Amino acid sequence: MEISHGSYNQKKFALPVDSEHKATEFRLFSAAAPHMRAFHLSWISFFACFVSTFAAPPLLPIIRDNLDLTATDIGNAGIAAVSGAVFARIAMGTACDLFGPRLASATLTLLTAPAVYCTSIADSPISFLLVRFFTGFSLATFVSTQFWMSSLFSGRVVGTANGVAGGWGNLGGGATQLIMPLVFDLIQNIGATKFTAWRIAFFIPALFQTLSAYGIFFLGQDLPDGNYSELHKSGEKHKDNFAQVFHHAVTNYRGWILALTYGYCFGVELTIDNIIAQYFYDRFNVNLHTAGIIAASFGLANLFSRPGGGMLSDFMAKRFGMRGRLWTLWVVQTLGGVFCIILGQVGSLGVSVAVMLVFSVFVQAACGLTFGVVPFVSRRSLGIISGMTGGGGNVGAVLTQVIFFRGSRYSTETGLTLMGVMMICCTLLITLIYFPQWGGMFCGPSSKGKTTEEDYYMSEWSSSEREKGFHRASLKFSENSRSERGRKIGSAATPIDGTPNTYV
Amino acid sequence: MAIRAFLIVLSCLAAATCRGATFSSLQQTLIVTASPQPAQVLKAGEDEITVTWSLNSTFPAGVDSSYKTVTIKLCYAPISQKYRGWRKTVDNLVKDKTCQHKIVANKPYISSSSNNTFTSTVLRDVPTATYFIRAYAQNSEGDEVAYGQTTDSHKAVNLFEIQAITGRHVSLDIASICFSAFSILSLFGFFFLEKRKSKASESK
Repeated sequence: MEISHGSYNQKKFALPVDSEHKATEFRLFSAAAPHMRAFHLSWISFFACFVSTFAAPPLLPIIRDNLDLTATDIGNAGIAAVSGAVFARIAMGTACDLFGPRLASATLTLLTAPAVYCTSIADSPISFLLVRFFTGFSLATFVSTQFWMSSLFSGRVVGTANGVAGGWGNLGGGATQLIMPLVFDLIQNIGATKFTAWRIAFFIPALFQTLSAYGIFFLGQDLPDGNYSELHKSGEKHKDNFAQVFHHAVTNYRGWILALTYGYCFGVELTIDNIIAQYFYDRFNVNLHTAGIIAASFGLANLFSRPGGGMLSDFMAKRFGMRGRLWTLWVVQTLGGVFCIILGQVGSLGVSVAVMLVFSVFVQAACGLTFGVVPFVSRRSLGIISGMTGGGGNVGAVLTQVIFFRGSRYSTETGLTLMGVMMICCTLLITLIYFPQWGGMFCGPSSKGKTTEEDYYMSEWSSSEREKGFHRASLKFSENSRSERGRKIGSAATPIDGTPNTYV
Repeated sequence: MAIRAFLIVLSCLAAATCRGATFSSLQQTLIVTASPQPAQVLKAGEDEITVTWSLNSTFPAGVDSSYKTVTIKLCYAPISQKYRGWRKTVDNLVKDKTCQHKIVANKPYISSSSNNTFTSTVLRDVPTATYFIRAYAQNSEGDEVAYGQTTDSHKAVNLFEIQAITGRHVSLDIASICFSAFSILSLFGFFFLEKRKSKASESK
C-alpha cells in the first residue's frame, strides 16, 4: 500500500496510485473506494441501462400482438431505441466534463427510469416507439462509465478498466434476452394473462435502474480526491468553460475518426443485437427460444471479449506504445469485418453459429481497443471526445439498420455481407490518426520542433488559462502518459522553456 | 467424405421438415359454421363463439374413415396478415402461421352425427384482428387430413373481428406513475443534498 504525498493533503489509497492519484493497478475482486468501488457501480448501472433498452426484443412476440404492431412499427422502434443515445452521449460527455460522472450518470439513469416504468402503460405503436426512444437515452451512461474509468485509472490500466466496465455493461444486451422471458414466465405462472404479464415484467429492469442510480449517488466519487462539487468549491479543481471544452473537442480530428470507426464496431454490435434472433429464426427455422439463446450468446461474449480488447490494448502499449494500440485496433476491427462477410455467406446452422461467435469476439474486442486510444486524444475535453465516440457508435447502428436491414431491398444475409464490407472500408481511416509525440500507424513521432506529451496536452490551454493554473491536471497527465512511447523511449526532448507549439 | 456426410445430414433435415402435410393436399370435406356474424366485433374474455361442423354429404361415403379427431382454430384473415410476417400463410402445415389460436383441440370425431357443436369464450390472449374459423380433421397420428372453414377459398367473406383486452389495469397505471414520480423526486433530492454538501465544504 503506497501513501501518496499530495501537495495539499495526505491520502491513503487501497491501490497503488500515480501522481494524479489514479490507480496503477486494476484489481477486479476488490471494492475499495474510490477506484474499484466506482468501477463496480458504473458497470452495474450501465448493465441495468442495457437491460432496460433491450428488454422489449425478447418479448416482442407478445407485445406485437397486444399492441397490434406491423413489421415496420417494430423496425422503427428498434431504430428509435438506439438513435436517442446519439445526442444523449455527446450531451453526457459535456455533463461529465462540467459536473462530473457521478452526478451526470445518476441523473440520466433516474431521468430515463420513468420511460421504463411507462412501458407498462403503452397501448399503441406510437407510444411503444416513444418509450423505446426515451429508454434508449440511458445508453449514454456508457460515456460516464468510460469517463469515470479514465479519470480514476492511469494509462497503464485504462484500457483494461474501460474494456471491462464497457464489456460487462454491454453484457446487459445479452442477459436481457434470457432475463425478460424468465421474468415473464414467472409472472404468468403466478396468474397474470399474457398481455398483463409482459407489462408487469418491465418493472424489474426499471427498479434495477433506479436502485443503481441510488448506489452511484451515495457510494460513488468522481475523482480520487473527491467529488467535482467539493473540489470546485474548495478551489482544488477549476470549473471549466463549456465553450472552450467544446471547441477543443470538435477541432480535434482524431475524435471524429474514432467516432466513425466506433460506429463500425459498436454500431454493428447494436444492429446485430436487434436483428440476429430473427435472422436465425427465419433462415434456419429454429424455434423462438433457440433463436433467443443464440442472440443472447452474441451479447454474452462481452463478458471476456471487450475486456480482452482493452487488456490487449494495454499489453501492446507496454511494448509498442500508442502505435501498438492503433495497429491492433485496425487489425482486430478489419478481421471483424471479414468474419461479418463470412457470416452472411454461410448457409448451415452450426457453422453460422460458430462464425457468429468468432465475429462477436472480434467486433467486441475492437470496441475495447477503441477505448484504449480515446483517453489519450484529449485531456481537457475527455468527456466530449468520449461522448462523440460513443455517439458515433449509435450513429453507426442507425445507419447500418436503415441502409441494410430495413424493408426488403436486401435479404438479411446480403445485408450482413455488405455490412462487413463497409466495416473494412471505414476501419481504414485509423491509418490517418497521428499523434506528434507518439506517431501513427505508418509514421513515427515527429522529430522536428518540440513534440512532447506536454506540448500536445498544453496546446489545449491558452496562456492566460495557464497563468491561472487551470492546466495543472493536464500537466500531470502528460507526465503519466509518457508510457505511451513504448519500451524504446523516444528521443523527443522535454521542453526547457518557452511556449509549446499548438498542434491540431 | 465429410461432404457426403454433410449432405446426408442435410437431406435428413430436409426430409424431417417435409414430413408435415401441405394445406393444398387437404380435402375440404367439412362444413363449418360459427356464431359470429360477418363484421361482428367480439370481445376477448367476454363473448362466446359457437362452432358447428359436419361432413359434407356430397362426398362419397367412407371419405372420413381416417378421421379420428377434430381441432378447431381461429385463423387470421389476409388483412391481419399484411405487414406481419409472423402470421404468414405457408403451404407446409408445420410452418404455417395462419391459425395460431385453438378454440378446441383433438375433439373426437363422430361421423354419424351431423351436428357437432362446441361453445367457448374467446380466450384473453387473443389479439385484436380479423378472423375466420377453420376446422382440421386429424387421423390417428394427429396429422391433418381434411379441413373446413367458415370463409371461402379467397378468405374474403364471412370475416369477423375480435377486440383484445388491453392488458392494462388501473393498479398498474397508478404504480407506473407513482414510481416515475418517485424517481424524479429523488433526483431533485439528490441535487439538494449535493448543493448542501458543497456549501458545507465551502464554509470549511
